[in-house]
Amino acid sequence: MFEAVLLFKDALYGAVVIGLACSVLGVYVVLRRIVFVGAALAQLSSAGIALALWLAGNGWMLGISTRPIALALILTIAGVLFFGAGSGRGKVPPDATIGVTYAVAAAVGIILISKATTGEAHDIFLQGNILGITRGDTMVLLAVAIPVLLAHALFYKEFLFVSFDRETARTLGYRVNFWNLLLYLTLGLVIAFAMQFAGVMLVFNFLVLPAVTGLLVSRSMAGTFFWSIVSALTAAVIGFSLSVPFDLPSGPAIIAVSGVLVLVAFLVRLRQRR
Amino acid sequence: MGDLVSFDHATLGYGRRVILSDLSFTIPEGDFLGMVGPNGAGKTTILRAILRTLEPLSGAVTHAPGIRFGYVPQRDQVDYNFPLTVIDVVMMGRYDRIGLGRRPGANDRQLARAALDHVGIVELADEPLTALSGGQKQRTLIARALVGQPNVLVLDEPTSGMDLVSTTQILGLVRELHERDKLTVLMVSHALNEVANYVERIALVVNGGFRIGTVDEIMNESVLSDMYRIPVDVANINGHRVVVARREGQTLPVSDV
Repeated sequence: MFEAVLLFKDALYGAVVIGLACSVLGVYVVLRRIVFVGAALAQLSSAGIALALWLAGNGWMLGISTRPIALALILTIAGVLFFGAGSGRGKVPPDATIGVTYAVAAAVGIILISKATTGEAHDIFLQGNILGITRGDTMVLLAVAIPVLLAHALFYKEFLFVSFDRETARTLGYRVNFWNLLLYLTLGLVIAFAMQFAGVMLVFNFLVLPAVTGLLVSRSMAGTFFWSIVSALTAAVIGFSLSVPFDLPSGPAIIAVSGVLVLVAFLVRLRQRR
Repeated sequence: MGDLVSFDHATLGYGRRVILSDLSFTIPEGDFLGMVGPNGAGKTTILRAILRTLEPLSGAVTHAPGIRFGYVPQRDQVDYNFPLTVIDVVMMGRYDRIGLGRRPGANDRQLARAALDHVGIVELADEPLTALSGGQKQRTLIARALVGQPNVLVLDEPTSGMDLVSTTQILGLVRELHERDKLTVLMVSHALNEVANYVERIALVVNGGFRIGTVDEIMNESVLSDMYRIPVDVANINGHRVVVARREGQTLPVSDV
């Protein structure tokens, strides 16, 4: 069993890096109640990948089919600017705007991919293929994750303050829009890169479920981050290790383990209350 | 004592939408001012101009050099789902003094405990924010405002949604901070009856109009009926002023105010 897992160790490392980065950002995603911004950004990223394949399939921008991340990044950053700068005072409620973005990006992605004629295993770009992660891919993921995590460690109190109470932060001279945009930008970067390998469903899982586990288990911010990371890494390692020998799809296996961990955390919380 | 904030023919609004025009008034050092008016009248707009988060469309709003505000937001502006302890929240009032990318130190923690002691809840320092009552949450936010050592304490609807006991305790605490610490206080509220019995001056923001004066100058039937555009009575019950709208064909027995 372990030999089979070791054959795909690079893929496991990749899943661990994605889980680590997403589980830290996920704490803000859940606490700020922007869970579906994460989902919409992931869909925009997948639409970018589909657009790149469609363009390449029609003979335009051929080189981009080998680097679909470029268009994924452009669309995700556009989404970041849109959601990050939004005041929420428009005629359309913010959650409806997120819903529109999610639905349109998903539909456009599926339409484009159905009409793309080049590129291998198109649907893998949309659904993700953890097993296909190479050592080089893991290095790319690390090159994105490390600066993002360092920024979050360095500017923890700034991100916390503008997330918890933006009006008071503003009165103390904080440039709230800048910090919000930076937070969204780190989110967009991680999602755009993780999406290529993990797909919408697994990225969404890593952004939400570990953070929920952390919040259920812990009563402090540090504890929440700690348990969120532990939960994501546990789900990645156990889910992946079960998926290889039992021939299960890796992403859903990881998500299933994340679900079990949320349930365990919920039971722990119930016990703490008694 | 000098003026801390001065409005000079200031017109306030957002984009091309004017909310209040030609405002001229000052907030002197040591003032205890209540800004009162119904929701949507423009109180928050004036508050933003005072807090320097809104530039006037015309005219000028000037601030004394070195002025520092301690802001207590409306309770529902704060997200209580965050897993923070009381002292974590209070230390946020020091964040801008700590500097970018640095963490609070032992001194900040000590000052936060002192601020909590000042508002009477130091024993709750390590409790989770979610476990507090409405009044305790408000004291936490007041402690956070005080820990930054402000010259002006600004409270936005500090008693909103509170019961009679908590309201009385919070308003009593604010008055105590003004009298004991000689702190300049600006309190924004829609509840004229609550504010009028604690503050020294009142700014009324009603129906696009603005009027400011001492409590005696504002709390009389003539001014209030004119501002609210309905006949009102001002009663005096054991030294407390109470404003009531007059029902048609009925006049309340009103004692001297």
